[in-house]
Amino acid sequence: MAARRRHRALLTVVALAVLVGSVMAAVAVDAAETPRRGGVLLAVIGADAPSLDPHQESTFATMQPVAPLYSTLLQIDPYSYPSIIGDVASEWTISPDGLTYTFKIRPGIRFHDGSPLTAADVKATYDKIIFPPTGVRSIRQSFYSAVASVEARDPSTVVFKLKSPSASLLSGLASPWNVIFPKKYLDKDPNYFKNNVVGSGPFKFKSYTRGSTFEGERNPDYFVKDRPYLDGYKFFVSTETSVRAAAIRSGRAYIEFRDLPNSEVEAIKKQLGDKVVVQTTPFVIQFGIAINNTVKPFTDVRVRKALTLGIDRYTGGKVLYNLTGLKDPGAHTRPGTEWAIPPAELEKFPGFWRDAEKSRAEAKRLLAEAGYPNGFKVVLKNRNIKLPYQDWAVYVIQEWRKIGIEAEHRPLETATWYADGRDQGNFELMIFPAGAYIDDPDQLLYQYITGSPQNWGRFSNPAIDDLYSRQSRALDPAERRKLVIEMQKLILDNAYHMPGLWWSRNVVHWAKVKNWIAPPSHFTNQKLQDVWLSED
Amino acid sequence: MATNVELSHAAATPRLAPRLSFAEAIIKFARTKPIGAAGALIIVLMMVVAALAEVLAPFDPYRADYGLQFARPSFEHWFGTDEFGRDIMSRIIYGARIALFVGFTASFMGCTIGGLLGVISAYWGGKVDLFLERLMDILLAFPQLILALAIASILGPAVQNVVIAISIPIIPRAARVVRASALSVKENVYVEAVNALGASRPRVVLQHIVPNVMAPYIILLTAQLGAAILAEAALSYLGLGAAEPTPSWGLMLSGSALSYAEKAPWIALFPGIAISLGVFGFNLFGDSLRDALDPKLRKS
Amino acid sequence: MRTYIAKRLLLIIPTLLGAATLVFLIMRVIPGDVALLILGGDQGQIDQKQLDAMRRQLGLDQPLLVQFGTWLWGVVRFDFGKSLWTGQPVTEELLIRLPLSLQLAFMATMVSVMISIPLGMLAAVRQDSWVDYLIRVISIGGLAIPGFWVGILCILFLVIFFGWGPPLEFTPLWVNPWANFQIMVWPVLTVGYRYAAVTTRMTRSTVLEVLREDYIRTAWAKGLQGRAVVIRHALKNSMLPVITLIGTEFAFLIGGLVVTETVFTLNGVGRFVVDAVAHRDYPVVQALIFLIAFSFVIVNLLVDLTYAWFDPRIRYR
Repeated sequence: MAARRRHRALLTVVALAVLVGSVMAAVAVDAAETPRRGGVLLAVIGADAPSLDPHQESTFATMQPVAPLYSTLLQIDPYSYPSIIGDVASEWTISPDGLTYTFKIRPGIRFHDGSPLTAADVKATYDKIIFPPTGVRSIRQSFYSAVASVEARDPSTVVFKLKSPSASLLSGLASPWNVIFPKKYLDKDPNYFKNNVVGSGPFKFKSYTRGSTFEGERNPDYFVKDRPYLDGYKFFVSTETSVRAAAIRSGRAYIEFRDLPNSEVEAIKKQLGDKVVVQTTPFVIQFGIAINNTVKPFTDVRVRKALTLGIDRYTGGKVLYNLTGLKDPGAHTRPGTEWAIPPAELEKFPGFWRDAEKSRAEAKRLLAEAGYPNGFKVVLKNRNIKLPYQDWAVYVIQEWRKIGIEAEHRPLETATWYADGRDQGNFELMIFPAGAYIDDPDQLLYQYITGSPQNWGRFSNPAIDDLYSRQSRALDPAERRKLVIEMQKLILDNAYHMPGLWWSRNVVHWAKVKNWIAPPSHFTNQKLQDVWLSED
Repeated sequence: MATNVELSHAAATPRLAPRLSFAEAIIKFARTKPIGAAGALIIVLMMVVAALAEVLAPFDPYRADYGLQFARPSFEHWFGTDEFGRDIMSRIIYGARIALFVGFTASFMGCTIGGLLGVISAYWGGKVDLFLERLMDILLAFPQLILALAIASILGPAVQNVVIAISIPIIPRAARVVRASALSVKENVYVEAVNALGASRPRVVLQHIVPNVMAPYIILLTAQLGAAILAEAALSYLGLGAAEPTPSWGLMLSGSALSYAEKAPWIALFPGIAISLGVFGFNLFGDSLRDALDPKLRKS
Repeated sequence: MRTYIAKRLLLIIPTLLGAATLVFLIMRVIPGDVALLILGGDQGQIDQKQLDAMRRQLGLDQPLLVQFGTWLWGVVRFDFGKSLWTGQPVTEELLIRLPLSLQLAFMATMVSVMISIPLGMLAAVRQDSWVDYLIRVISIGGLAIPGFWVGILCILFLVIFFGWGPPLEFTPLWVNPWANFQIMVWPVLTVGYRYAAVTTRMTRSTVLEVLREDYIRTAWAKGLQGRAVVIRHALKNSMLPVITLIGTEFAFLIGGLVVTETVFTLNGVGRFVVDAVAHRDYPVVQALIFLIAFSFVIVNLLVDLTYAWFDPRIRYR
C-alpha cells in the first residue's frame, strides 16, 4: 500500500517536472529566437578607408563601415546566396527580348536628411556609374557596357534599356558598391560622398576618426519596419592581425568581418569554446600567377606550360590551408559552382594533373625542348602582404626549384605592385589575386580578354574574346555554362595565365552576434539590417 | 731621427704602464673586464657558427617538409619547424651569416665613411669643414630609424638595400664623433711641432691623427654593430627588410610568427633569442672596450 | 652669449632648408605613382585620361621645382597642404594623432629618467663591482631585445593568461584617465624601458667622467666621506650633461615611437608616417618627416644652448 502511494507520488513529481521542464524549454527556445533590440555591435577592421565613397573605392576598408548607411537597387539575399532580391526595388520585369528591365521602387523610402528616395535618385546614381561625366571616375563602368540608357519613367519606376542581352545584368545591379546617392548632392558635386554620408540605409552616420574608429547609429525612419535591431555599430581600425585577434579574444570586439588566420581562430576557439562561433566559407577570390606573355622566354607556350606543370596545387592546398586559407585548386571560376570545369575534366589540363611526379617530369621535358635543359633564373614579384601573398610565393618558389627554375622573390609595396603589374607590365612573373563579390562569369573572366586593365599578362587571343562576349549575352544558363567552360579550357591549354588556389576564410565572432551569415565575399552582407545581439 | 720614431709611437695620452703585446693585452682584458670577455666570446661563437653553417646546419634552410609543419622541438629538429616545415635551427644558423653581414657591413661602411669625413673636416678646416658640418647637420636632423625607413622604401626589400639604408644614418653620427676627437688631436702641441718640422699634410694625418682617433672609432663601430642588427629586425618587421624565403632573423620574427605564438611558440622564440643574444654580445664587448680604451674612464 | 644664441639660431635655417629639400627629394624618388594608387585600389580599371585628370587635381603635373616652391611657401605659413589619400588638410590629420604620440613620448621620458639616473649613478659610483655589472648587464640586455617583440609578447601573455586585451580606442588623459592608462601603460613601459637602458649607460659614463675630475679627487684627499662627495659634488656637476644627454637621445625615442605605435596599433604620428609612406602620400610624409626633423633640431639646439649657458668655454669656439 505505502509503496504504491510512494510510486504514484514519484510518478506525479516526474510528470510535473517534465511538464515544467518542457514549458521552460519552449520559453527558452522562444526567447533565443526572438531578436532582441538594442546594443552596439563592436567590430575590428584591418585597414582605414581611403574615402567613404563606395563608387570610387574597391577596398573592404570602405565597404564594411559604410555599407550599413546606404541602400542599393538590388542585393544578394543574405540568407540564400546567390539569389538576388530587391533592396530599394520591390519587383522587376524583364522584356522577352531581354533588352528592357523595369524596376519598381518601394514607396516611402527616405534619405537620412528626410528627402524621399525616388527613381530620379536611382537614375542619377547609375548615370554616374555607367556614364560618368568628365573628371569623375567610375572604376566598374565596363561591367555595364551593355546598358544603353537609364530612365526614370515616373518617381517609382526605373527602366534600364540595353544594347544587347546581358546575362549578368541583375548580378551587376546587386553590386554592394552601387549605393544609391541623392541626386541633389550628386548634381552639386559628384565627389561629395568621399567625405560625407547621406544614405537611406538602416543606420545613420555618427562619427569617424581617421585611423581609429567609425560609428553608426540606428536610423529610426528606416523603410523596413522594426529594423535595425542594433542601436548602432562601431568599427575599430587595427592593422596588426594578432592585435585584432587579441581584441576578439578579450571581448573588446565581437567580430572581425574579413578573415583571421587559422592559428588565431583555433586559439580563440580553444580559449572561449562555446562563447564564439566560427563560420568558414569559401571566398570568391583565387591567388594565381600572372605571366608576362610579351617577354622571353614566356613567349614560348612550352615554357609557360612547364611553369604551371611544376606547381603541385593539390599538395599546396593541403599545406597552405592551415597557414593562409588557400585551399582548392581550380581554374578561373570557383570550383564547386556551376561555372567551374568539372574536376574530372580539369585533371587533364597542365597544372592540375593528380600525379605530381609525372607532372614535373613533363615540365622538365618541355623546358629541355624549349632550350632550357637546366632550367633558368627568374624574378617573381609579389605584394608585400604576408597572408596569403608571401606564403603562396614561398610555396611556389619551393615547387619550381624541383624543376630547375630558380625564382628570386621580390615583394613590392602595394603602390609599386600595381604600377609594375597592372600599369607598366614591368615584371616576368607576378603573384596575382583575382576575384569578385559574386560568382559571376562576367566579373571573373573579364581579365582574360584583350586589352582588359586586369589582363596583367598582356596576352591576346581573339577566340577567347569571342567566347567572352558570347557568354555575356547568353541568357540560357546551360548554353552560358558551355561557353564559360570552353573559354577557361582555351586559357589553360595555352597556359597564358596560371590560376592557383581558391581562397577560403574563417570569420570568428562571439556567439551573442546573431543572424549574420558569412557570404563568400567580405564585401557583401555588410548592411547589418537583421543582425542582433543576444546580450550586451 | 729619434724624435720621429718616438712621435710615431705616441698615443693621445702618455702611458703609465709598459706597452703590452697583443696577446698579453687580450689576457689582461679578459681578466679585468670579464663582462667584455663574455661579450667577445658570444661574438666569436656567432662568427664560428656563421662560417661553418654548411657543416653545422642539419638541414637546408629552404627545405620545406610538408608533413612536418609546426613540429615541436625534437631530437630531429632541435628548435622545431616553422609553418612550412623548415628546420628552425638551420635557419637560425644561416641567419647568423645575414645578421653578421648586415651588422658588420652597415656599421663598418657607416663608421668608416663618417670617420673619414670627420677627419677631413677637422684637419682641413675652413670652408671644407663648414660645408661638411652643414651636410652632416642636415642628415642628423632625421632620427636614425626614420631615415633608414625612407631609404629602405626607395630601394625595396632586399638584404643589400637594408645594409645601405642602415649605414647612411650612421655616417653623420660617426663624422661628428671622429671630428671632435680629431680636433682635440690637432690642437695637441706635438702635432704642431711635426708640422713645423715640415712633414707633409697627408703624412701628418695618416701617422698622427688617424691612430689617435682609432679609439673612438672602434668604440663607435662596436656600438653601432648591435644597433645595426636591431635596425634590420625592425625594418624586416615593417616589411622593408629581407624577403622570404631568406633566413634572416628579423624576417623570421615578423608577421605571422607572432600569430603562431600559441600554436608553435618556438617559431617566434628562437629568432628573438638569437637577435637578443647577438646584440647583447656586441654591446657587452663594446661597452667594456670603451671602458678599456677611453683614458677618462679607466680606473685610476 | 647673445651672439652665440643668434649664431646658432641662424644656423638652423640652412639646416632646416636642407632637411626640407632632402625630404621632398626622397619622396619623389620613391617609385610608385600615388595617382595610380588612388584610382586603382584593389581591382580598379583606369584609363589615361582619368589618370591625367587625377594628377592635375593633385598638382603632380607641375615641374618639381614649382611643386617644391609651393610646398615650402605653405610650410612657412603652417599650411602643409592636403593629404593625397584622404583629401583632408594635413594639419587636421596631424592634430588628431599628435596628443597620443606626445603623451607616449612624455611618459616614456619620465619613466626612463626615473630609472636611468639613479641606476646610472649607482653603477658609476660602484664601478666594476657586482652592482655595476648587474646594472650594466640589465641595461644592455634591455637594449638588445627587439622592442616590437617584447610588445607583442606582452599583449599575448595578457591575452592568453588573463583574457585581457588593451582598449582599441585612445581616450585622452583628461577624458578618462583609467581608460587612458590601460591603453598607454604597455607601450610606455616598452619604449621607456629601452630609452632607460640607453640613458643608464650614458649616465654611468658621464658620472664616471665627473668622478675622475681633479676637484673630486681633492675632496676625497681632504677626507670627505664618500657619499657626501658623490651627492654634493658629482651629482650637481653631472646633472647637466645627463639632462642634455636625455635631449640628444631623443632620437632614440622617436624611432621607438614608430615601431611601438605599429605594434600596439596606436593611432599616433609614428604609425601615420609608416602608413603614409606606403600610400605615397607625399604631403603627409613631407610634413611629418619635416616636423620630426624640426623638433629634433630644436631639441638639439636647446641642448647646445643649455651646455653653452653653463659651460662658458664652449661659447667662444
